[in-house]
Amino acid sequence: MNSFAEISDKLIESTIEIFTSMVMMDISSAGESVEITRTLKKSITGTVGLAGTHKGVLAVHFPNEVALAVTSNFLGMDIGEINEDVQDAIGEVANMLGGNLKTILSDRGRDIQLSLPSTICGDEYTFSSQAESDRIVLPFHSPSGIFYVEVELEG
Amino acid sequence: MAKNVLLIDDSSTMRKIISRSLRQAGLDFGEIYEAGDGLEALTLLENEKVDIVLSDINMPNMNGIEFLREKGNRPAIKDIPVFMISTETGDDIIGEAKTLGAIGALKKPFTPEKVSEVLGPLI
Repeated sequence: MNSFAEISDKLIESTIEIFTSMVMMDISSAGESVEITRTLKKSITGTVGLAGTHKGVLAVHFPNEVALAVTSNFLGMDIGEINEDVQDAIGEVANMLGGNLKTILSDRGRDIQLSLPSTICGDEYTFSSQAESDRIVLPFHSPSGIFYVEVELEG
Repeated sequence: MAKNVLLIDDSSTMRKIISRSLRQAGLDFGEIYEAGDGLEALTLLENEKVDIVLSDINMPNMNGIEFLREKGNRPAIKDIPVFMISTETGDDIIGEAKTLGAIGALKKPFTPEKVSEVLGPLI
């Protein structure tokens, strides 16, 4: 079992790799795990669930302006509003990060199952965590603002 | 002769990215067809001339492993090569995909250079 510190380091590396190679956007880690408000405003969250030997969820939280920039870069075209393209792109970021998290936790593949990605967006919503879970929330700087990668794993 | 490619991925974003990466890699291909899952792909393969399939694994309705299994049961399309492009690259899953006929796998995320290196010889 990896420690949360090891998981954090590898997730930071994976996130930067995904943004550099696929989103074509330079980002950087904004430091160690932080506490964030559970009520998100004008944001979009992509999530992937983990089941099997490790149970939990990976989530990426983007303020709308960051999500629009990410999707515009991803698709190579200007996107001006939160629409299906943005939801699909943010879901895919969560999906790729979920795949990497799965590899971090287990290199075999069959002992952890990933759910299909899903997204939540709106002017205000609450992202609840499980009381029994260990949690890290990693902040990242992008040219359009801060976004967060969150992992919760049942203890 | 340029080969026709079928992309199977439930993410329209990812289909666009793979398509763009194929173009950026300078590969000589013909038509690029798209399907959102294995079921759509089977229908498309029965109706279009496709030379190679690039498929995700984790998809709704029919995933990449189920697609390989079902395709293998259809004589008209069973010999069309399939290459997996997925976040799922664990040994067990890729091993099963190869047992079912997949000719290789590329992990997401990838760069256009990696696409060129891996898929160039196939396309």
